[in-house]
Amino acid sequence: MTHAGPAIELDRAGRTFGDRVALRPLDLAIPPGEIFGLLGPNGSGKTTTLRILATLIRPTTGTARILGHDVVTAAMDVRRRVGVMPEKPSLYERLTVRDNLVFWADAHTLPDTRAAIASALAFVGLEARADDRVGQLSKGWRQRVALARAIVHRPRVLLLDEPSSGLDPSAAAAMERMIRALVADGATVLMNTHRLAEAERICDRVAILRHGELLELGTPRQLRARLLGNVVNVELAGPPTLPVRRAVEATPAISDVRWLPGGFACRLEDADRDTPALIAGLVHAEAQIVSVVQAGDLESAYLELMARTAREDELEAAA
Amino acid sequence: MTAFTVAPSVRALIRKELREYRHHRMILMTATVLPIVFLLLPIANLALFDPERSIGGVNLAVGQAMFCFFLCPVIIPATMSAFAVIGERDQGTLEPLLTLPLSDSQFLAGKVLAIVGPTTAASFAIYLAYMSVVVAVAQEPVRSAALDWTWPFGFLLLAPVLALFSTLTGMAFSARARDIRVAEHLSGLVLLPAMLPVMLVVTRTIEPSVLSWGAFSAVVAALDFAIWRLALRAFDRERAISTA
Repeated sequence: MTHAGPAIELDRAGRTFGDRVALRPLDLAIPPGEIFGLLGPNGSGKTTTLRILATLIRPTTGTARILGHDVVTAAMDVRRRVGVMPEKPSLYERLTVRDNLVFWADAHTLPDTRAAIASALAFVGLEARADDRVGQLSKGWRQRVALARAIVHRPRVLLLDEPSSGLDPSAAAAMERMIRALVADGATVLMNTHRLAEAERICDRVAILRHGELLELGTPRQLRARLLGNVVNVELAGPPTLPVRRAVEATPAISDVRWLPGGFACRLEDADRDTPALIAGLVHAEAQIVSVVQAGDLESAYLELMARTAREDELEAAA
Repeated sequence: MTAFTVAPSVRALIRKELREYRHHRMILMTATVLPIVFLLLPIANLALFDPERSIGGVNLAVGQAMFCFFLCPVIIPATMSAFAVIGERDQGTLEPLLTLPLSDSQFLAGKVLAIVGPTTAASFAIYLAYMSVVVAVAQEPVRSAALDWTWPFGFLLLAPVLALFSTLTGMAFSARARDIRVAEHLSGLVLLPAMLPVMLVVTRTIEPSVLSWGAFSAVVAALDFAIWRLALRAFDRERAISTA
């Protein structure tokens, strides 16, 4: 049966451990087919959120649902539908890759265990290492086994905790490709990550948490715009001509234009909304555009947000 | 027991546990060396039996031999069950394991059965080997005393419930302790008094009979049931993953 609502839903879900607040009441709705990134420093509540959704810990406030199933009252239904990949591969190292997957497939009582395992092994490219002991594999290969284990029962929702943690660039790129392929196949992914460039590349939306509190939520582009301003850098082939300058200055909602030898930087009211008009004006003025790039990246936006909240904390403490 | 309503997932856990035990040196040693010791000690005891120098007579000698067999389903599960939860936690596999569609009772049942089954089988196997040796080579009066039907009857009745008792106790400590050795020691403290009834029978303070074995087995089985309920109630997933 297909669930019509969000794949993952948190409704004021929060968690305290004694006096310590690990996660303040959080509202989140992740539609099917989305890759959603949870960002934040250590201790920000990312893993707590993931653990609540994986039915490992209960929320002390609010509710959380996976494909409409409550993580507390319908925990078994949730467990059947999610695939979890912890930060560390957490595999049975004395057993072979295949034995690890056999256990997972059997525990999910799949109708055709052998086919499911073959498919998972093929997906992560581990057919040739299937009969190797996990303890003999490198970190990158173990991460692949952990992903194969998480997907062996073809879950519709994947919860990935730092999926590319400790991987070299090519292994991390392979992991990204695999996550994209899973989403293309219809899965919804919620992932924790410290790799902001990776989050920017693959996440449809991200949330930034700090001290268990949601600070920002949106697409990477929206976050960049909100936190760094809507600054756009335009590179031209050659110095800006007079018609080009006039076209730029005539663009609605533009300000702070800084002319440079090979282009210009400007601020738009809303980069997403106003950039097409700017480009249309440039094309009309016969400008030779090399690139139009929104200034800054998710990492800069994240660091700006962290610095801003740290300043606010200091001011609050001083007051 | 609700543990068996989704039997395939429990069976999957049992198979995984057995595969792991086969590759775990400490558990493999415990599960193979101890039964051999528990088999050789009684055989040596009876082989060296001298009626003229024996203080307690042949019955005590046979009782001492039997004590070794009763130790087997108690000591081996204690070691294995201490590993059951702490071992998973130490190798980092407990967290993903608890995301599987296994209820608390199924999780505990899988772990318990993976220990009780092989341990009981090993206990019966060494006892059978001992009986074969007795039949083949023992002389009177040792032979008659050792082959007295009340011993195999008692062993058949009591060994499985003792193994279950030892496993459940070990599991209960394993789920809450931080270290395998601590769990082993704590369960040892509980298990030693539990051997008291066996001591009373093997020393002939209480005569081995259908009634005495039946009563002891019933008491241990009742204890097993109570500990199962307690262990189920005490099993806390959050605590299990956070105790580190």
